[in-house]
Amino acid sequence: MLARKECVAMLLAGGQGTRLGALTQNVAKPAVPFGGKYRIIDFTLSNTINSDIDTIGVLTQYQPFELNQYIGNGQPWDLDRLNGGAFVLPPYQKAKSGEWYKGTANAIYQNIDFIDRYNPEYVLVLSGDHIYKMDYSKMLAHHKQKEAACTIAVLDVPLENASRFGIMNANPDGSIYEFEEKPKHPKSTKASMGIYIFTWEKLKKYLILDEEDKSSSNDFGKNIIPAMLINGERLFTYEFDGYWKDVGTISSLWEANMDILDPASGINLNDRKWKIYARNTAEPSHYVGERAVIRNSVVSEGCEIFGFVENSVISRGAHIEDGATIHDSIIMPGAVIRSGAVVRHAIVGWNAEVGAEAVVGSAQSGPEHGEWKIAVVGPDCKIATAAVVEAGEMVYGG
Amino acid sequence: MNNKMFGVLFASGNESKLNELTIHRTTASLPYGGRYRLIDFALSNFVNSGITRVGIITRNNYSSLMDHIRMGRDWDLNRKNSGIAVFPPYVLNTSREVYKGKIEALYTIMEFIKRAPEDYVVIGNSNIASNIDFEDVLAKHLATGADVTVLCHEGVVNSSRRVAVSKNDDGKITDLCIVETPAEEPRMISLNIYLLRKDVLITMVENAYARGCVDFEKDILFKELDNGKLYAYEVSGYAAIIDDVKSYYGESMKLLQYDIREELFGAERKIYTKVKDSVPTVYGQDGVVKNSLIADGCVINGTVENSILFRNVRIEEGAIVRNSIIMEDGVVMKKSSLCYAITDKKVTITENRHISGFSTYPIVIVKNKIV
Repeated sequence: MLARKECVAMLLAGGQGTRLGALTQNVAKPAVPFGGKYRIIDFTLSNTINSDIDTIGVLTQYQPFELNQYIGNGQPWDLDRLNGGAFVLPPYQKAKSGEWYKGTANAIYQNIDFIDRYNPEYVLVLSGDHIYKMDYSKMLAHHKQKEAACTIAVLDVPLENASRFGIMNANPDGSIYEFEEKPKHPKSTKASMGIYIFTWEKLKKYLILDEEDKSSSNDFGKNIIPAMLINGERLFTYEFDGYWKDVGTISSLWEANMDILDPASGINLNDRKWKIYARNTAEPSHYVGERAVIRNSVVSEGCEIFGFVENSVISRGAHIEDGATIHDSIIMPGAVIRSGAVVRHAIVGWNAEVGAEAVVGSAQSGPEHGEWKIAVVGPDCKIATAAVVEAGEMVYGG
Repeated sequence: MNNKMFGVLFASGNESKLNELTIHRTTASLPYGGRYRLIDFALSNFVNSGITRVGIITRNNYSSLMDHIRMGRDWDLNRKNSGIAVFPPYVLNTSREVYKGKIEALYTIMEFIKRAPEDYVVIGNSNIASNIDFEDVLAKHLATGADVTVLCHEGVVNSSRRVAVSKNDDGKITDLCIVETPAEEPRMISLNIYLLRKDVLITMVENAYARGCVDFEKDILFKELDNGKLYAYEVSGYAAIIDDVKSYYGESMKLLQYDIREELFGAERKIYTKVKDSVPTVYGQDGVVKNSLIADGCVINGTVENSILFRNVRIEEGAIVRNSIIMEDGVVMKKSSLCYAITDKKVTITENRHISGFSTYPIVIVKNKIV
């Protein structure tokens, strides 16, 4: 038995992220680049260590190589600990059985032994595809104070959006009496953020029961939480009012990147008390040429910028040639935008190349039915000279 | 015999000519190129050439260096069986003061040198910014049968002590001399980096120390000339010797040239430095940046031209920075201007200040000062 940990974090990073299309063709969603020099998963990993939780299991399944390599021994997040640290946990063959993770709850179920090694009192369950900064230690204190079996972080969302979320209906003291997944007529605006703290003893019991039920889809939202409610367990909400965004779609991924440019959005990356860590790639400072113009944008290391850039996120190692124009777009690591190309309301994937005089995307005045029409050039994709990629179109690479 | 190398670096040298820039630090830890310290180039070159055992001899003000290097992890030098050994100033029982020259310095770490299992050693100053493949240097060293291979490049003579190298077409060194009179004409200059067999170095240093010699160049290398086994290895790409304020400024500004950046950073042999987890740089609505090198973590709302900004520099609205170097955590407040200035770490230029030096005499503002 290893030294005991009060709380072990389990990060669900196995989702395929189909709605991100070309961007998740070859990598898992948590490994998708974000904000110039980060990956989506950096936010949850950094939150974990910043909350003084130093033991984290990362559950991978879909396209795990990039993510495994990226996390490595966890050193960039200070998670290379002698006792504890970061562990990548893919599904594995056991003596009697061996199978893929069937659902979020099953993924934790299959790693009960891993958690038991640390004999924790609490388990924090996280998703690897959210952009936010949150102190889980405060949530844990709340969980202890309420003597809860499960605490679910919730965010107040506008009523018109509430039917897109899992909604928690709670009493004034925060105790949850009902959970509704994407209700047509929401009774409350408290949306689950997919962040749970369980008292481990309780969770383990319900995981085992759930596994025995062959009709279960082994999902936290659909099965575990309802089962706990039926059995009268103490479930509480934990209200969070900071910035939080699920970046599961192209439109929301683009919006979250744009939020970095807007101080009013509330996602302040430049907070020395709550740094977001990322694996570093040893690139020199970025260079800005004689005729370059850069307005209201962020630019990362290793870039060479000679063109016009406005309201955009330019990631590490990108090259923007003289005469290229970029508006309201995300240029991912290592991408090249050739001379005369025009990129508007677009995401250009890593190591992609937009040929000279090509046109990618077009100016959008706002979202339609909540979705922006963002043009996407897939990773490693080459857009030919003078080619056109329409607004909302997605081009797949090799 | 094995064909493996280890490295020994001198962290100090020419501090007096670097004036205010080295009040608080060794030459090795002088910030350079927006996000590096000078020693990053030597350490990265070593690691990229398979050299993982490195001794660093310090002399004074070495705390900034220790803070930068820590366990050497950022250069992948946190090794079990090799890695970085930092030698603080060491006073032998037989002498009464810290070492006077390189010979004494090497003598004080003789245990380290003798214990190293590698048969070849690279010794060098840490004031060189270059991207050097030491595996190629070793191959040439073996091919020529040299006793000592002296790395050199085509450069100019300034008023610091530099060693001029004369060689024939085979690379054999025919003459070495100390030059201290500034001249425009480029000539072959030693980078004070040497590759030689470890046992040869031990013999040289022990013999010279026994005779009270202190100066590695004058007392060892110059005397070896007669034996005819000194060979030059010319570093063909960019190489900078930083040994006074003018060379610091001039060589820094050369990094604004694309070709020079490619020679220094473009190779597969990357230059590593301490990771600081800065955020990407933010450009405001009114920021104007031309021909400049900008590190991460800056916030730019003013004008920056022909300049180098280190990490976490803030340029406020209406501020103008031209032909200047602003080190980490520098702040230039509203409506101030800087021209031909080097501001050290954590310098704040308050509102409406106007500071100007000259291209051949940039003004240096000392660390932590508020103007």
